[in-house]
Amino acid sequence: MASSKLQALWNHPAGPKTIHFWAPTFKWGISIANIADFSKPPEKLSYPQQIAVTCTGIVWSRYSTVITPKNWNLFSVNVAMAGTGLYQLSRKIKQDYFPDTEAAVAKE
Amino acid sequence: MKILQNFWNSPIGPKTTHFWGPVVGWGIPIAAMVDTNKPPELISGNMTTVMCIYSALFMRFAWMVQPQNLHLLALHAANESVQLYQLSRWLKFQGFLGDKSLQQKNEEAET
Repeated sequence: MASSKLQALWNHPAGPKTIHFWAPTFKWGISIANIADFSKPPEKLSYPQQIAVTCTGIVWSRYSTVITPKNWNLFSVNVAMAGTGLYQLSRKIKQDYFPDTEAAVAKE
Repeated sequence: MKILQNFWNSPIGPKTTHFWGPVVGWGIPIAAMVDTNKPPELISGNMTTVMCIYSALFMRFAWMVQPQNLHLLALHAANESVQLYQLSRWLKFQGFLGDKSLQQKNEEAET
């Protein structure tokens, strides 16, 4: 019984034998790359890139709920993109525009 | 006029989500194009490598999906090009693309 369910998944038109599965799955790589870059100093982050990642994440999160069928895998990967992009932006903005707070924290 | 009408009523036209998603997505290759004028120290090897694989996969996706989305294909083809260029700049900066003239200079400095 379990094997026929697995077979159904394996042979699904948007399953692991198709690009419809692997392209959205690999999109997680963008968020993973961003998380790996959390340890990079903010001077080395790119405003245009992080703004683009954040905006596409937000807009595509919305779109994945209005397409047919709703695609929760696509929704979650874009939420993650928007989240990691926002965090990277906050790190860079904090360093560029609020450097005093960092100096105050360092003194403590 | 007919061309405009066909575009307006297209299954991937401006009345559909299949159009506006890619419109926003253009931000990614445009951001990369802006970054080509910046010094290579600022390039993220992680992100650029991921982008190269990501756009290659989505070019295929855009071709196979129903309805076929040539706008999305164009977007990812553009991104693939600019990300590969950025990757080559990063590799060169990291010293992975052996620069013979640099090697000669180093050898001359040693002697």
